Amino acid sequence: MSMASALRELLRSGPGFGGAGLMCLLILVALYVLLAFPLDFGESQWSNPVVWVDNPKAVPPTWTNALRREALPLHRVFEGTEPHTVQMARSGPVHSWRFPLTYASSHPPTFLAVTLADVKYAERPPLVLISLKRPDGKQLRIYRHAVRGPREDESGPFQRYAQTPLRVQLSTDEATVTAAQNFLADEFDLRLNGAQIGGRVDRILFGVPAGDSDEAFAPLTGDYEIIVQAALRAEGDSVGKVRFVVGGAVFGLMGTDSLGRDLARGLLFGLPVALFIGVIAAFMSTAIGTTLGIASGYLGGRADITIQRISDIVANVPVLPLLIFMLFIIGPSLWIIIFILVAFGWPGLTIQIRSMVLHMRTNQLIEAIQSLGASRRRVMFRHILPQITPYVLAQLIFAAPSAILAEAGLSFLGLGDPSIPTWGQILETGFRTGGIYVGYWWWIVPPGLCIVLTALTFMLLALGIEPIVNPRLRQPAS
Amino acid sequence: MSLLRPLLVRSLTMVGVFFVVLIMLVLTLGLTGFSDRILAATIGEQLRGERTALAETIRDPDEMEKVLEKRREELEIFYGLSTPWYYRLPRTALRVLTLDLGEARTLRSFDGSNRVFDIVTERVPNSMLLLTTSLIITAAIGIIGGAYLATRQGSWLDRFVSGFAAVSFAVPTWWIGILLILILSIQLRILPSGGMYSTPPPTQPLARFFDLVSHALLPVITLVLVSFGPSIYSIRTITLNIAQEDHVKIARAKGLPESRVRLRHILRVAAPPIVTGLMFGLAGSLSGSILVETVFNWQGMGRLYYDALAGTPDENVIVALTFIFTLMYVVIRIVLEALYVFLDPRVRYTD
Amino acid sequence: MTSLLDVRDLTFHYADRAGAVRAVDNVSFSLASGGSALGLVGESGSGKSSLALAIMRMLPSNVARYDGQIWLDGQELLGLADDRFRQEIRWRKLALVPQGAQNGFNPVLRVGEQIIEPLVVSGTAGKKEARARAQELLAYVGLPTDVYLRYPHELSGGMKQRAMIAAALILEPPLVIMDEPTSALDASVQTQITNLLKRLKKELNLAIIFITHDIALASDVCDDLAVVYAGEIVEIGSAEQVLLHPSHPYTQRLLASIPRLHADTTPQFIPGAPPDLREPPAGCRFHPRCPLAFEPCAQENPPAFELADGQMARCWLFEDGQEER
Ligand SMILES: Nc1ncnc2c1ncn2[C@@H]1O[C@H](COP(=O)(O)OP(=O)(O)OP(=O)(O)O)[C@@H](O)[C@H]1O
Ligand code: SF4
Ligand SMILES: [Mg+2]
Repeated sequence: MSMASALRELLRSGPGFGGAGLMCLLILVALYVLLAFPLDFGESQWSNPVVWVDNPKAVPPTWTNALRREALPLHRVFEGTEPHTVQMARSGPVHSWRFPLTYASSHPPTFLAVTLADVKYAERPPLVLISLKRPDGKQLRIYRHAVRGPREDESGPFQRYAQTPLRVQLSTDEATVTAAQNFLADEFDLRLNGAQIGGRVDRILFGVPAGDSDEAFAPLTGDYEIIVQAALRAEGDSVGKVRFVVGGAVFGLMGTDSLGRDLARGLLFGLPVALFIGVIAAFMSTAIGTTLGIASGYLGGRADITIQRISDIVANVPVLPLLIFMLFIIGPSLWIIIFILVAFGWPGLTIQIRSMVLHMRTNQLIEAIQSLGASRRRVMFRHILPQITPYVLAQLIFAAPSAILAEAGLSFLGLGDPSIPTWGQILETGFRTGGIYVGYWWWIVPPGLCIVLTALTFMLLALGIEPIVNPRLRQPAS
Repeated sequence: MSLLRPLLVRSLTMVGVFFVVLIMLVLTLGLTGFSDRILAATIGEQLRGERTALAETIRDPDEMEKVLEKRREELEIFYGLSTPWYYRLPRTALRVLTLDLGEARTLRSFDGSNRVFDIVTERVPNSMLLLTTSLIITAAIGIIGGAYLATRQGSWLDRFVSGFAAVSFAVPTWWIGILLILILSIQLRILPSGGMYSTPPPTQPLARFFDLVSHALLPVITLVLVSFGPSIYSIRTITLNIAQEDHVKIARAKGLPESRVRLRHILRVAAPPIVTGLMFGLAGSLSGSILVETVFNWQGMGRLYYDALAGTPDENVIVALTFIFTLMYVVIRIVLEALYVFLDPRVRYTD
Repeated sequence: MTSLLDVRDLTFHYADRAGAVRAVDNVSFSLASGGSALGLVGESGSGKSSLALAIMRMLPSNVARYDGQIWLDGQELLGLADDRFRQEIRWRKLALVPQGAQNGFNPVLRVGEQIIEPLVVSGTAGKKEARARAQELLAYVGLPTDVYLRYPHELSGGMKQRAMIAAALILEPPLVIMDEPTSALDASVQTQITNLLKRLKKELNLAIIFITHDIALASDVCDDLAVVYAGEIVEIGSAEQVLLHPSHPYTQRLLASIPRLHADTTPQFIPGAPPDLREPPAGCRFHPRCPLAFEPCAQENPPAFELADGQMARCWLFEDGQEER
């Protein structure tokens, strides 16, 4: 049967069509990921907490708001480089950034944070002020920061926060707490001590006292404005970058984990990794299994007996305990996982191929070729291999899901390769940090679904291919 | 006696498997230098202890170093670190074979023992409970469902089950466990999310039993859920193939009642291949249960793996677990092989 | 109405993806009484086994058509309810030694157990009694009695065949259908079996339907012969009539194709191939291969014409009762 007609037949069967379609989709997404993500995504981003500080921790995806009666606040990030306005004051130029924020949620933000980067000054350090203008017309200063002055052995021009930007978590910052305290006292004549305010700064800043008790606050929705001002001391001084984060209670397409990592990105990166594991492990174990099977069946004699004995034993080794043990001793590495999966994955195929070859060896054509003096190797690879290729191909596809599942299981036990994020590892952190017990479903369900979908794609493809390579199955049994 | 020979041949393969695993353990420990590192660490720890003890009698630091150095050499000989691993480890392997498994670093048995033997063996029954219960339930569902489905070949139910079986192969057991926890114990609060008993455990035996059952329910359901589809499907296929054999036609021609034909001439003949299927599935079930125990905090050997891996790894426990796990697997396999030989008269005489 | 078995217009078609497989078409014959054997002879695929299955009502799931009449001992079988047929007819009145009886035994049960099964299940006899009876039968068919305790795979092909015959006799049925009982056996074993069959006829007064593709073998055992071609019986008569005076062109060809030891004629092959039973040729089914075909042959299927007493042939040549020679 030609490739083209085989393909046509594959697409005509239900599972074959589904499998091929899904596989195309997966490959496209994987290609996108390979182009869009750095290859060291794991080390440079995923396990680097700095990348994720400004994200809300362990919040569900944004689209879940559509299912809620009361929408949770969105995550808002404001960033500015060039100042929006420049004014001249007595002390020097004042650069301001104004970020309008329409706040509609009845829940306060989960946190407020500000980041400053690339501050340059000639002689005297600038002063940064942050204020919040509320819909009720009230305005308060929530933060004030004097950039560090020159050190003794330092000479100008001075640079600050170039390598490590300054990040302040306003919600827990003492200065902001004090500001909130003063604000309540001045505007609402409400006197609360630090302990009463601590942890509820966001609620106070984005609400009004509800009246029932001193500590109750009603949300205040409407148009806010965040004003960041940098009082510079000389022309040419500058603040390179300002970033203000109003932490949401929902985030992105897939939500975040407890470190604030964007799960959508982790899940995306997991796809090429899973495909790689499945394909490489399946390919290598199939190659070994086929070669040994042909050798065993064709050579016969002592080689055959040896190969059969070894396959018999290796096929019966319980792999998972051994995998755990070896990964533990050698250290978690994706390559070790693949190596062991291959090392124990070949015998089943060897045994099957051997019996097929034994069948074929008595085939007259092969006998004739042999009597013409073709070398053993030539007969094996030129005449026997092509005949079993379709079958081997189906087995190749069948072998992929089990490798994917095995890697996921090992990762789940904490034996995953820490430098490469996989779906299993995402699940593992979700489980280890107790995510399931507090119902963080967005952290638990999608990675599992990804695993199932990928494994299922291979399964469907294999099911679609099987009747084509195995003509006996094409006839319905009577 | 005629049963003995084939059984012996089959058991021998399993014994071979067992020794191959043992050799791999030894090789891994030796070749990676892991064993040396562990011994060096043990010696270092012991020396540190002795240093503090000696500090009271020996004041001179130089002399102290000398004494300790001598002591180190003694210890290295005592622990065998002075000899290369390939001389030392076979002896260790022999010791392990006699179930002398050493001591755990931090893990303790339920009653506080730090002997690895105690820690591991007290968990074996818990693991077996989970594994055998789910295996038996799966087999029962498989046999009943498979035999039924064989009479409905090509029906929508048949197609559904074959699809379901294919999907089952693509689903990680442990993830299903997590999902069930998420739904049944976190959202709906119907069943406990983990452990084997409530805290504090009920004292009255009957209440204790029901407590155990309620805790075992979710893990067992998980294990059964992912394996019953393939089980039904494979038994259906076996049954169908046998139902087409000539002897079944003859049984019908003999005028035997249909129920008898099904039981004695189809199912009974299907028993050996079904046992073979169980054998093939066993390694998978064992792996599945390691992970499911982890998910449900079921105090079996699988959970022990997780505990030994998390935090400060307890290498003696991990070595012992791998060893005992393989042993357990081999023993169950030999039982199944025996069952097979018993069920299939054809293997009794031929080799 | 004294005949033991009377089959009339039995038709049995399988459903196939392409349509109906007309494996048995309008077959009629009768078997006079106990102690005689009817041979059904025909090429592979001509529908012999299907005919046996149809008589035993061992229908596969893909039956397209199943009708006609089967009278056994004065009782019509086709109209009988399944349950009664199973309890009253199967193995009691009608036993079958299937084609490839090698696989007729359940591989995991002992041979004896399987022989006595119908006896024990129907409650006719206790286990001990049944065992004694089975061992007696085993001895009768020429097997050592310890076969009773052996498993099928411990028996040779010939032994299994004999054991199967013993199994068929356990309820003492008046009629046994034997489908190719000797085809997988070597010549000497084959002779032993045919001798056994002859003994059964004589000593047990058993009626046998003997199915084979080997007309010489059939003539050895049988009193009457029916030649099956493409789902039809094309000629039937006493063995003597059919062998010495084959009338139907197909029978003639069939006989000519047999190699003979002491003859100078070389065997002649029948040209062409047996028809596909999905679409048998219109008219006489043999006409595409028949050297004597003439006008009506392709038009209409000939009915059975009576030749001499009891001999019948389905061939237009005999429409006027004349025989061409
Ligand atoms: N279950 C079935 N479904 C469809 N066709 C069938 C079935 N069983 C038999 N046939 C077809 O019916 C025809 C007659 O088959 P049957 O087995 O009766 O022939 P036979 O004369 O016994 O041949 P042989 O000598 O090879 O046993 C054949 O063409 C066969 O392919
Ligand atoms: S009917 Fe015609 S075709 Fe058929 S056998 Fe007689 S002569 Fe030949
Ligand atoms: Mg036949």
